[in-house]
Amino acid sequence: MTELGSTWALTPSDRRDRRFGWLMASPSLAILFLVILFPVFWALFTSLHDYTLIAPNFDTFTGTGNFTKALGEAEFRHTLWLTAFFVLAVVLLEFALGFLVALMLNSVERFKGIYYAILLCPLLMNPVIVGLIWRMFLHPSLGIVNYLLSVVGIAPVNWLGSTDVALWTVVMVDIWHQVSFMIVLLLAGLSALPKEPYEAARVDGASIWQCFWRITVPLMRPVIIVTLLIRLIFAVKTYDLIYIMTRGGPGVSTDFVSYFIYRTAFVSLNIGEASAMSIILLAFVLGLTLYLYRYMRSLV
Amino acid sequence: MAAISLDRVNKVYPNGVSAVRDVSLDIKDGEFMIFLGPSGCGKSTTLRMIAGLESITSGELKIGPARMNDVDPADRNIAIVFQNYALYPHMTVADNLGFGLQLRKVPRTEIDKRIAGIAAMLGIGELLKRKPAHLSGGQRQRVALGRALVREPKAFLLDEPLSNLDAKLRAAMRTELIKLHQKLGTTIIHVTHDQVEAMTMGQRMCIMRDGEIVQVGAPMEVYRNPADTFVAGFLASPPMNLIGGRLDAEAGGLAAIAGNAHLALPVPLRAAYAGHSGTPVTLGLRPEDFHLNGSGLSLSHPVQVSAVALEVLGPEVILVCELGGKGGPEIMVRCPRDFTATPGQSLTLHYDLSQIHVFDQATTKALPRPSLV
Repeated sequence: MTELGSTWALTPSDRRDRRFGWLMASPSLAILFLVILFPVFWALFTSLHDYTLIAPNFDTFTGTGNFTKALGEAEFRHTLWLTAFFVLAVVLLEFALGFLVALMLNSVERFKGIYYAILLCPLLMNPVIVGLIWRMFLHPSLGIVNYLLSVVGIAPVNWLGSTDVALWTVVMVDIWHQVSFMIVLLLAGLSALPKEPYEAARVDGASIWQCFWRITVPLMRPVIIVTLLIRLIFAVKTYDLIYIMTRGGPGVSTDFVSYFIYRTAFVSLNIGEASAMSIILLAFVLGLTLYLYRYMRSLV
Repeated sequence: MAAISLDRVNKVYPNGVSAVRDVSLDIKDGEFMIFLGPSGCGKSTTLRMIAGLESITSGELKIGPARMNDVDPADRNIAIVFQNYALYPHMTVADNLGFGLQLRKVPRTEIDKRIAGIAAMLGIGELLKRKPAHLSGGQRQRVALGRALVREPKAFLLDEPLSNLDAKLRAAMRTELIKLHQKLGTTIIHVTHDQVEAMTMGQRMCIMRDGEIVQVGAPMEVYRNPADTFVAGFLASPPMNLIGGRLDAEAGGLAAIAGNAHLALPVPLRAAYAGHSGTPVTLGLRPEDFHLNGSGLSLSHPVQVSAVALEVLGPEVILVCELGGKGGPEIMVRCPRDFTATPGQSLTLHYDLSQIHVFDQATTKALPRPSLV
């Protein structure tokens, strides 16, 4: 489609092109509307009504009632805090680990392809499979992890059954699964950095540390921010791992917001309130995405 | 300031490629030295070895009296200007200039003073707050130069610093670099593949090919006496015409023969080349040594040529023609700007025999000859 500022400047052939463009794009647009935009607005509409699966109707308009009720619930606030903690923990740990590995891989010359293949393996796996595998590995009495620990004389740990450990176990599994995403993105950024400033810095007298802090980090800033934000947005939505591994338990120690919303909707059957919670979460993720988009635009 | 000496320096890469072979060269303190050669001849690698950015496989490098082979680039006290400037893209011009000094723990007031001095000298005072992305090519060039100057190093290494500039700016920067060298008197090594830069800027030039030094000398010395056909064909534009031929004894003398053209050699050259009579040689005839009128020349010989094409450049006309008449080897001749000829036209030109060059066809080396100038 043309980027001409105003319609009057379009020639008949431009207009024909434009019509043809819309025609070609319309099936995809229709599908996008049906499966994304429509459900979002439906959820927004539902969140304003007292809609439950016991009384599935829009008879009672509640306005912001579902929102105030959700935010007033201690359990919902708990899941928000827990999710925030989880997101911060996984993003920061994955970033630190990912950057370290990316820096190491960036200086590797041989067998790069093999390292890439190994690294990408976890990323290619479905989160449900990852959850199932780790649930087996971490089984208190039959899992291989506790067996290996017992070999070196460490007492077995109740990885997923203890309120103190379960959250960190989920964090660990998520890191195992997602750290390669960080590595791949950061490595792409590192390998695209110009070589010459480093040579100039060597002649200027910079040490490896000074090169890292004064050149690599500032030059990588756009890549770092984009990587962190993408990972942040994905981490906020974590659901599959929880559903497979802990179901929010033990107690509410791994009860993340997306799992809590699911339970509100399909266990408590309160679709209206669950929709309100989803909208709150959506607003948060949308805010992050908008920031990401703005930031990326500002770099161009 | 320091002299730089290389003694049988070699560079072999881990994959076995030998980039620099047995390079021995003494660069005097305060000298403006040019490394000239085509791409891949090893000139940049040699420069990078001097800078310490490439390791030296064998041989010895000295900057001043000290051996530098294993000294860190930072401790060699040299500055390098890269072809693509290699500015720190995230730093302002002022930070780019001051970075090296900061790392050397020079006091802030001193850094600011030096930056201001360099900025004034290079005319980049109003750019200090800008980042490299917001500078033009010429401005970046100046900042890169300023970054080298601000450190007050013992020697400047310039790695094709002008090759990314447009022709006009390049000419201007050429003059500026010459002036800068006159003012500072610091040793400069300037790597280039541009023979105009090589001829105009340096006090001496070192011509390299395939990792080896072919010839070292003052520009005019190299121009007058190219060591082999490579140097002869590389220097000047249009370059020397190199024509396969032979030296033959003729009635009472010796003649250089190429196609149908016979150039009877003057007495002093006859003696020098007598031993090569009958051997195949390459004759080197510079385009500017052909004259339309031979009356002003003490040693000239008429040659017949057949015009092929004219390249009108403005200040001069390059005549492309066939030596010795139609079907002869093609040569270029530099003519005055008002010269005209039609394709196929037969012309008589006069070659200045004091400027004839003869190269051994097997070794490509110039045959030794007495100076006739």
